[in-house]
Amino acid sequence: MTDRRRINGPVGATFPPVFVYEGEDAVKETKKTRSRPPNAIRKMYLKTGVTPSASGSAYLEIETSAKGSGSGLKLSCTVHGPRSLPRSTPFSPHIILSTHVKYAPFATRQRRGYLRDSTERDLGTHLETALRGAIIADRWPKSGVDIIISIIEGDQDRESSKAEGDESWDMMNALSGCITVASAALADAGIDCVDTVAGGVAALVRNAADDSVSNIVIDPVPSEHEKILAACCIAYLPTRDEVTNLWFKGDLGASDMELYTSLVEKGIQASKYANRVLVECLGETVG
Amino acid sequence: MDTPPTLSLSRSTFAKLSPHPYLVANLTGQGRSKSNSSPACCRTNGRTPQQARPLQVHPSSLTHAHGSALVRNGDTTVICGVRAEILPVSNIPQYRPRSHGEVDSDSSSSSRELRDYDLLVPNIELATGCATQFLPGVPPTTLAQTLSTRVYSLLHSCHLVDAADLRIWHNPKDSSSSEAANAQDKMDEDEDANSHKEEDAEPQLMAYWVLYIDLLFVSFDGNPFDAAWTAVLAALHDTKLPSARWDPDREMIVCSPPTRSLRLSGLPIACTAAIFVEKEHGDTGGRHWILLDPDRLEETLCREVVTMVVDCSDGETRVRAIEKHGGTVIGRELIRAFAGVAEKRWTEVQKSAFLTDK
Repeated sequence: MTDRRRINGPVGATFPPVFVYEGEDAVKETKKTRSRPPNAIRKMYLKTGVTPSASGSAYLEIETSAKGSGSGLKLSCTVHGPRSLPRSTPFSPHIILSTHVKYAPFATRQRRGYLRDSTERDLGTHLETALRGAIIADRWPKSGVDIIISIIEGDQDRESSKAEGDESWDMMNALSGCITVASAALADAGIDCVDTVAGGVAALVRNAADDSVSNIVIDPVPSEHEKILAACCIAYLPTRDEVTNLWFKGDLGASDMELYTSLVEKGIQASKYANRVLVECLGETVG
Repeated sequence: MDTPPTLSLSRSTFAKLSPHPYLVANLTGQGRSKSNSSPACCRTNGRTPQQARPLQVHPSSLTHAHGSALVRNGDTTVICGVRAEILPVSNIPQYRPRSHGEVDSDSSSSSRELRDYDLLVPNIELATGCATQFLPGVPPTTLAQTLSTRVYSLLHSCHLVDAADLRIWHNPKDSSSSEAANAQDKMDEDEDANSHKEEDAEPQLMAYWVLYIDLLFVSFDGNPFDAAWTAVLAALHDTKLPSARWDPDREMIVCSPPTRSLRLSGLPIACTAAIFVEKEHGDTGGRHWILLDPDRLEETLCREVVTMVVDCSDGETRVRAIEKHGGTVIGRELIRAFAGVAEKRWTEVQKSAFLTDK
């Protein structure tokens, strides 16, 4: 059943172009190397107030990885509210958060549809959990706030052959960006929070295919590592030293508690770095 | 219509309480303090009626799209991404085969091809929280649907894209000779014979490029159509299609890096104005103002909107489309006068956005 409220295009299926490289155009098999030290995040640019018609808004851009083939993350977030809920809604003693994350059709390698898929809904749920811990919700009874994030450009490598099955790791980076940008937009909207929450990602990676040594890096870019074994996305409140959301993915031996702890610690480290950018940006907004 | 000269309300309160008289007071210059030396006729946003907001265009801002542009018209911000995908002719129902030698007798055959096979797919997404009335989670609003359809029909009616650019041909002669030049795969004798047989075969049309044109509103402050159309134009100007060929061995279309830009004919630019009438109720009488490039407040207060698409790229002004909704103020004379305004706007937009392309 096609959506008649949109322009759907041709009836027959269309395919994204498949590239073939020949002769000197052939892709040189580059070794996957990380462009920065293991405990450094990529540069990010954060700006509030990009959408004047919303109560609060922010834009986040994370620098393209050095190789040039990847694209940096570009997020735009708007906050609408706090405002009264419709009359039919039952009484709520605290503010009702609704989060909405959507990839733009041109954000990723494959063209995305306009309906939200499970990935996007998943991101929305995680984002809500992360923010709920930061907002002082009982200051606004019977009201609601909408937080809408459009992912204008996903964090993906352009060559599809290299990065198969990396989508799940891209989600981690997207979520950490979403948390940071939503936090900035909430502050721009003037919604009281206990602290500024920021997201950070740490991952356990293996750099060479035959290497059995794995190490922990923060802010991983899937195309820069041979294999990502596990990753963890953390939403962290620095002044309270509290984690509001923890999302862990990958496979890791159940016996190695040390590794789990250090992965979370590195995640917190990454989120502290992001928080520094956030605070600086908000300082510019207020001052 | 007598606004007291000693207005005790602040500007923003007045605007919120009674927007219509507020706009009237601004346009007539009432209630303005004597010391203020600004011209008598001024809109709430400080512009004169025939003054548009500054336009900024940033092309090629996206990585995954074949062409893209970010357009900022005042506080209205749109991102447009053009994505090309391949539509094999075998997937087209009711496909009419086409021979290579066939020349487009006129532009109508090219545009029929575009329209029949649906090769241009513009879609506008407003539900990005770009304004309070556009929240996600609901189906496309009437405005989003209208805008998509208007962009769609304008794309087709002004013959901007040539269907010849979107065809992917397979020329058996070319491919066999290039394979011989490569000399990488040794052909068996019967294969050789096959390729010789193919040599006198006609080039075949294997597939079409389909352009998915997606527009995302980041921020909304009135006049969505002009911004969207400018974004579509800029993104199409920026679009580069890879060179595609049919690979007989793989039996699919493959692409290689050398890209070519899309050729666009003309530069039709949209110019929208809202007609604001002095009387809030009732149809006739009173004064009226033609407000170019209306913002959100003005748009909500005006019932009559006129859009004219003009193209002055070949020296003389050609009107490509006129649209008018609601109201009875605009007649033949005013439309004619408006063409002049649109012409001026064309020069402005061309200067700020498309001059480097020329």
